[in-house]
Amino acid sequence: MPRAEAISAAPGGLRGDSPGLRLARRSLTLIAACVVLLPLADMAVITRDPWSELGRMLSGMAWPHWWSLPSPIGAIALTVAVALWGTLLGILLGFPLALVFSRSRLVRAGCAFVRAIHELFWALLFLQVFGLTAVTALAALAIPYAGIFAKVYAEILEQTPPAPRDALPPGVGRVSRFVYAELPLVWERLAAYTRYRFECAMRASVLLGFVGLPTLGFHLESAFREGRYHEAGALLWLFYLLIASLGVWGHRRLLPLLVVGSAFLLGPWPRIDGDLLWRFVSRDLWPAPLREGDWAGLLAWLGEIPELLPAIGNTLLLGLMGTVGALLVALALWPLASRHFGNRATRLGGRGLLIALRSTPELMLAFIFLLLLGPSMLPAWLALALHNGALIAFLAARHADALQPGMPGLNASGRYAYELLPRIYPGLLALLFYRAEVIIRETAILGMLGIATLGFHIDSSFAYLMFDQAFFLLLVTAALNLGVDALSRRFRPRDVVLDDPCSR
Amino acid sequence: MSQATLLDLRDANLGYGDSVVVSRLSLTLRAGERIALLGASGAGKSTLLAELRQRLAERAAWCPQSHGLVPQLAVYHNVYMGRLERHSALANLCNLLRPNRRAWAEISELCRELGLDGLLKRPVGQLSGGQRQRVAIARALYQQRELFLGDEPVASVDPHQALRLLALIDKRHATSVIALHQRELALTHFNRVWGLRDGRLAIDAPADELTLADLDRLYPDAHDANDAEG
Amino acid sequence: MRWLAVTALALSLFAQTASAQTFRFTAIPDEDQSRLVERFQKVADYLERKLEVDVEYVPVKSYSAAVSAFRNDQVQLAWFGGLSGVQARRLVLGSQALAQGVEDAAFHSYFIAHQSTGLESAERLPKAIEGLSFTFGAKTSTSGRLMPEHFLQERFGKSPQELFSRVGFSGDHSRTIALVEAGTYDIGAVNFSVWNAAVEDGRVDTDKVQVIWKSPAYTDYQWTIRGDADERFGDGFTVKVRQALLDMHNPELLASFPRSGFIPADNDDYAPIETVAESLGLLR
Repeated sequence: MPRAEAISAAPGGLRGDSPGLRLARRSLTLIAACVVLLPLADMAVITRDPWSELGRMLSGMAWPHWWSLPSPIGAIALTVAVALWGTLLGILLGFPLALVFSRSRLVRAGCAFVRAIHELFWALLFLQVFGLTAVTALAALAIPYAGIFAKVYAEILEQTPPAPRDALPPGVGRVSRFVYAELPLVWERLAAYTRYRFECAMRASVLLGFVGLPTLGFHLESAFREGRYHEAGALLWLFYLLIASLGVWGHRRLLPLLVVGSAFLLGPWPRIDGDLLWRFVSRDLWPAPLREGDWAGLLAWLGEIPELLPAIGNTLLLGLMGTVGALLVALALWPLASRHFGNRATRLGGRGLLIALRSTPELMLAFIFLLLLGPSMLPAWLALALHNGALIAFLAARHADALQPGMPGLNASGRYAYELLPRIYPGLLALLFYRAEVIIRETAILGMLGIATLGFHIDSSFAYLMFDQAFFLLLVTAALNLGVDALSRRFRPRDVVLDDPCSR
Repeated sequence: MSQATLLDLRDANLGYGDSVVVSRLSLTLRAGERIALLGASGAGKSTLLAELRQRLAERAAWCPQSHGLVPQLAVYHNVYMGRLERHSALANLCNLLRPNRRAWAEISELCRELGLDGLLKRPVGQLSGGQRQRVAIARALYQQRELFLGDEPVASVDPHQALRLLALIDKRHATSVIALHQRELALTHFNRVWGLRDGRLAIDAPADELTLADLDRLYPDAHDANDAEG
Repeated sequence: MRWLAVTALALSLFAQTASAQTFRFTAIPDEDQSRLVERFQKVADYLERKLEVDVEYVPVKSYSAAVSAFRNDQVQLAWFGGLSGVQARRLVLGSQALAQGVEDAAFHSYFIAHQSTGLESAERLPKAIEGLSFTFGAKTSTSGRLMPEHFLQERFGKSPQELFSRVGFSGDHSRTIALVEAGTYDIGAVNFSVWNAAVEDGRVDTDKVQVIWKSPAYTDYQWTIRGDADERFGDGFTVKVRQALLDMHNPELLASFPRSGFIPADNDDYAPIETVAESLGLLR
């Protein structure tokens, strides 16, 4: 990985001040930090007989029982509808925010806050007042996405070439200036990012099924959890196909039709109980001692929260390990899907592998590794690294495909190390730093492995209906995310022009 | 030449922020003058033009060196942007979806004169360099101001075409200040020359009192080369 | 602009589809959650005949989702586990337990162990389980979490985290069995009826995993109805619902739960569960 850069800097090792060396040093620091902290993580490998269960899983994937599915059409339609409308509402909320993003500290902080909480946790929060309804599903997607869109759109808009704006005659109004001399220049990038985000929304929409909204994930999770692997296999294949064919059914021209059509599939709609909503917002979310102004009681309340510091430590450690793991996986896997390497068959296989890895919910990957390796932090680490690494690899391959190697005669390793990697590495690293925030968020949903991350305790608090505790832990998570985000913004390669807006 | 004075600079220091690019500048711009602005790159031509543009504000049409076109929009919309401030935001929005009929007629007439007929609906990104240059000029002409400010507006067209474009600009503007690098053109086609060298106004004289050799002195490399030969 | 209009139109269309007085219920069986809607539609049809109101089944995924649906009045009747029933009745004042399964009056948990631990079936929980790895089922499962933790506490006077080298939450009884069978965890706590059914169907390899302890009896699953049911569906509705449940004898309907029949129950039957949950800090 940073080897290519190091070579170009020889004989001085990693000393020097070129951008490439700075990146190499940062990557190595990250990896070193991970290696140093690794002994703190529980990494035991306990394997006894995972093979019969894995065999059942494999046979489920190989021979999916399509006929035993309880009509998946409805679930697929709802999955698409929720993803589509969740994204759309996210845009409607996020775009205006993007316009004031750079000017308002309040907007920036608010957006960072809503982004910091995982879609599943938003869903659990809204579940309490809106029940298992479309409002819960849409809000769980639209609210964090509004924060994400606001940030990314603002960054893209910031990079609008200034020349056309400067050429305008004096006195042109803000709106006219925006629609003529700014928006058209970045439209492609905004659209590309929105498309990518829609694919994320598809995955999130499936994930919402895990907490009970009747999307594809509802059936997938039940079947997988109860060991009905032939059914789970069929559903998983359906989901892969859905993601792989997104370019076809999600075509620009079909979108308006899809949007209007899918609106009729959304539902059910809640009857909103004002008292309940008010009680939840004004009472349930806040610790009783706080409401009563009992400060000593508040301390006692804080004391009852189980193992807050270890949870924060575990979350950060798993986040760091996941980030470094994702970096290594991405570096190893991106050539598989790039046009510069292999032949048609290997590329098809490589792309398939990347789609499978990035579309398979982490929870399932983690479960497979749990069987293989036993209960420790290892399965969670592998799941995070593979899932996110595959995602970054996919975008890196796309970036590499847009490049033209200057020396066509080089062999594969030369192309990798000298031609392509040095050019895509800054982008790849920038992407990884963006992803770090997401990885931290995702550590939350791997609590079933018994790793007590913050997310594990949030999930427990929701299960025990201790909403005040859940809300407090969510705030802690959000604060942690803000910190990590600030840190990654500091260290991410800033001088890189991310020509692929999907890199976020 | 007792024309009205449009602009009068006395001992002005021009630049960006704290850095002064052109110092102690004194000059006068009168109505009806056609001024060629010469100087090596970095001599301060763009700085001076930016200053003129700012001071003359609504009286000057502006054609920037980088064109400042929007490649994704059609030729029509790019030219239309010359008068963006004269319509309401709503009218401008509607015009994006469905061209305003009067504007369309005017712009297609203008484009015909510039040899851009038939290209009105084509995105600017698909045009050749010369065509883009003409679109940028069309946008400036469409502004319909009394004065034309251009930063190398005829840099990327052939000499024959340059003459035609300059004639078109003259036809529609009584006064013009145009940065150039074609020295011959400055002498034949303009009635006054401003020459900048190292951030100072080295030449401010009627074109017919100058020779090519005078102008050569504005370009240090060329001058040194002559010295070396001589 | 156009999209805003379409959105507004679509939303207003939906606002009208929310219908008024349908009696809704939910149920999650402790095993086999496939074809939930299909299976429970038959129960809905049965209740519809008996109660003479529109009855609809609402599928849910987890105990906490069931509780939040009950609390939000998305369902008025629910088939809860022991702990989730207590949670729900605390949140919705006036709600009452109506009936429990015949098996639920004396429910058990099994502790199962992988053969490599060498543990044998015993009357008391063997001391040797200390220091091994252990998995519960779902976090709010009565038979997979609450009661096992209670019995561990009773026997050893320690929390599971102190007792075992690792403590996991598999999320489901079937998965607990799978994880212990694979040797991922040494020991697991599981609902006895789920275990029995799995052994009967040959879905578990008893050479690799076996029961080492059967817990004392406790009460578990029950039907709970909201306190405002009479107000909304007419006087005596609650009594009618209870009778309909007790009269459910069709094996096909009962197989969905799966129970052999329903017997009366009331809130007091679950007081022990409530006490245990409070002492373990799962309720407050």
